[in-house]
Order: sequence, then C-alpha cells, then structure tokens
Amino acid sequence: MSAANVISILSSKKARTMTQTSQTADDWADLLEAVARRQDTKAFEALFKHFGPLIKAFALSSGLHSQGDHLPEELVQDVMLAIWRKSASYDRRKAAPSTWIFTIARNQRIDMLRRLNKYRADVSADAIWDLESDTELFGEIRQSRIQDKVKSGLYDLPVDQRQVMAKVFLEDKSHQEVADEMKLPLGTVKSRVRLAMKKMKLSLEALDL
Amino acid sequence: MSQWHPQPDQLVEFAAGTCHTGMSVAISVHLHYCTQCRTALSELESTSAVLFEQQSAVPVTDSAFEQLMQRIQREPEVEPVVEPVNNRFPKALSTLLPASLDDLDWRQPMKNLRVSHLMTDESGMIIGLHHMKAGARVPNHYHRGEEISVVLEGGFSDQLGSYGAGDFILRTPDDTHSPQTDAHEDCLMLSVVAAPVKLTGALGWLLNPFLKA
Ligand SMILES: [Zn+2]
Repeated sequence: MSAANVISILSSKKARTMTQTSQTADDWADLLEAVARRQDTKAFEALFKHFGPLIKAFALSSGLHSQGDHLPEELVQDVMLAIWRKSASYDRRKAAPSTWIFTIARNQRIDMLRRLNKYRADVSADAIWDLESDTELFGEIRQSRIQDKVKSGLYDLPVDQRQVMAKVFLEDKSHQEVADEMKLPLGTVKSRVRLAMKKMKLSLEALDL
Repeated sequence: MSQWHPQPDQLVEFAAGTCHTGMSVAISVHLHYCTQCRTALSELESTSAVLFEQQSAVPVTDSAFEQLMQRIQREPEVEPVVEPVNNRFPKALSTLLPASLDDLDWRQPMKNLRVSHLMTDESGMIIGLHHMKAGARVPNHYHRGEEISVVLEGGFSDQLGSYGAGDFILRTPDDTHSPQTDAHEDCLMLSVVAAPVKLTGALGWLLNPFLKA
C-alpha cells in the first residue's frame, strides 16, 4: 500500500470520526430545545434523520413487524410525534437526549403492543414511567459521565455479554425469554447482565443487599 | 428511605419495559419513595440508550418525514392528558383509583382486613389494595404464586422483617408468613398477586378474597 493511500485512509477515518463526534449529546439537546422554543422544523428534521432509523431498528428488533408490516414505520411516526409534542418538557440537566428519546420509544412501544393485543389500557406507560428524575441527583455532567462510562464499558465487554445486554435492553424480551432463545439457564442470563453492569461500575450493584 | 427494594433484574426489566403491568406499577410506586432505585433506573435507562444508539440504523421510507409534518399540521392539538382524580398516591396507582377510597368495591375477608381488586393485568396478575387495621394479624399463609406488596401508609412486620412506606416486599410460593400490622396505625398496601393466596390453617377460605364467590 502506498503512503498516499495510507494517508487518505487515515484522513477519511479521521473525517468519519469527526463527523461522528461533531454530533454530540449537546447538539441533540440544542436541537430539542430549538423544537421546543421555536417549533423549528429544520432542527426537527435533523433529529428525525438521526433517530428515525434507530427507532425503526428498535421496532424491528422487538419483532413489531411480525404483528403488521407497517408497524415499525408507525412506531417511528408515533415516537417522533411524541418528541415534537413533549419537547418543552425535555430538560438537559435531567437526561441525555438519547436517554430521553429511548424512554419515549419504550413507552410508545408498550402502548402500541397493548393496543394491538387489546389489553385494557387502565394505566398508560406514561403514567407508570412518569418519574421526573431529580435534577440535584443527576445533573448534566453526571448524565454525560454515565453515558461515557456505559459506552466504554460496553466496548470492553466480551461478545456474549454484549449480546445478552442488547437482547435484554432492546428486544422486548424478559430475562426468561432471552434465556429460552439463547438456550441458556435463566441464572446465566441474569448474571451476565449483572456482571456487565458491575464492569461499568454502575450503582445497580449497590442494591445487592 | 425505603429498606426493601426490587431485585436488580426486576429493575432491569422495568427499565427495558419488559415486565408485566402489575410488576411495573409496583416498581413505579416503590421508585417514588426510593432515591437509590431511581439512581439505578436512571443508569439502566442510560445503558439502554447507549445500546439504542449503537444499533445499525434501518432507513425509513422517503416520505416519512413529510407524512409526519402533515400529521402534525392535521393534529396540532395535543389530547389533554387525563390527570388522575386521586392524588394521594404515586401516579401509576392513582390512575387506577376513584377520588375516595371509600368508593372502591371493598371486600372484608377478615375482621381487620379489607381488600379491593383494581385490575387484572395481561399476565393474570391481580393488582389490588389491602387495608389492615392497626394491630391486626393475618394468619399464617403461603402463596401459590408470587406476591408483591408495596407499603403505602403505615407499616407491618412478619417473620422476615419489618416494613414501612415504600418498602417493596416480594414473597415467592415457598414463603409462609403471618403479617402483623404496627400497633398504632392502619396499614395500606398495594398488592400484586399471581394467584389467590391459600391459608395453611383452618381459616383458608377467609383469605381467598380475590376468588369471586
Ligand atoms: Zn429501592
């Protein structure tokens, strides 16, 4: 490989890293605030372009399409509509943008599954997950520190632990369902998740009384 | 600060949104009393969000954004959020309650115990309220399935510990216990049970309040 080639690969790699890091949590938070303050459709479109395809991936990994081909796109619409409407309640001191958006996607998925399965909606997902996080406890700096810790922690995990984490956290499966699918004992699935949380030095372990 | 908490894997399922409604309501009520679990939940949600962002994106249809903007123009009004009429308890529970607890359909299986059935969730878990008079003792019983209790007001104790507001108590089918309410205050509890409880003693029929006659 010629030196020029190496440099062009390096610089394209660098360029890629730069475009990725140029969209930081702060930028997404700015965009959410622009939607809230000015109903800024350009800002909203940028959010849609980034998060729409992630919400669709989330819907597909949850198996929504098995209940109707149109449902993954419908979830994208429902979640983005909720983001538009709730943007005024977004507070960057309480949650990183992706965390806030994930919780909306989770709640919309739960409500959609309830509607599909005709469960009585006596209690909506928003009523259950209505918890306003305490600003003094979390705060903006702590939020981004947690996300950084999680990111590097996940990166260091062995493949089998990462796989279990993705299934348990995103795929709408209980520990038991993940265990059945992966043909692992239930205790193994639970302990892999707990081990992963421990490696990330998250406080869940403090609950092991 | 609450002393009895959900297990870590139950909080994980709550964060991921994969536990049944009864469990979700019970954990949600506990979280209102427990900073420690709220911190853990916030970290679990951050973990989910990082995994969420690391997914391989799947393109949406070309017209998706346009369709969404049309929908926003068509439905500019947000449907008013229906606030619960009862504000005495955390929201997840309040939405299931009338303005006054007296308006609930209470049954009284024992002199010192009243129970009310609020809803049955998608997995068959029964969400209800238990109201025990001060100083009352419930006879020894075991459970056919899991029983979760979250203390709302007052307190009680049994062979395994004593519990106050916000405490999250899980009993599995193997546990037998006979709760005793604190002497000077009535105890109100949220209860989530998989199956009607069965008494070990002769009073068995008394504590099957959820079994409709
Ligand atoms: Zn707790």
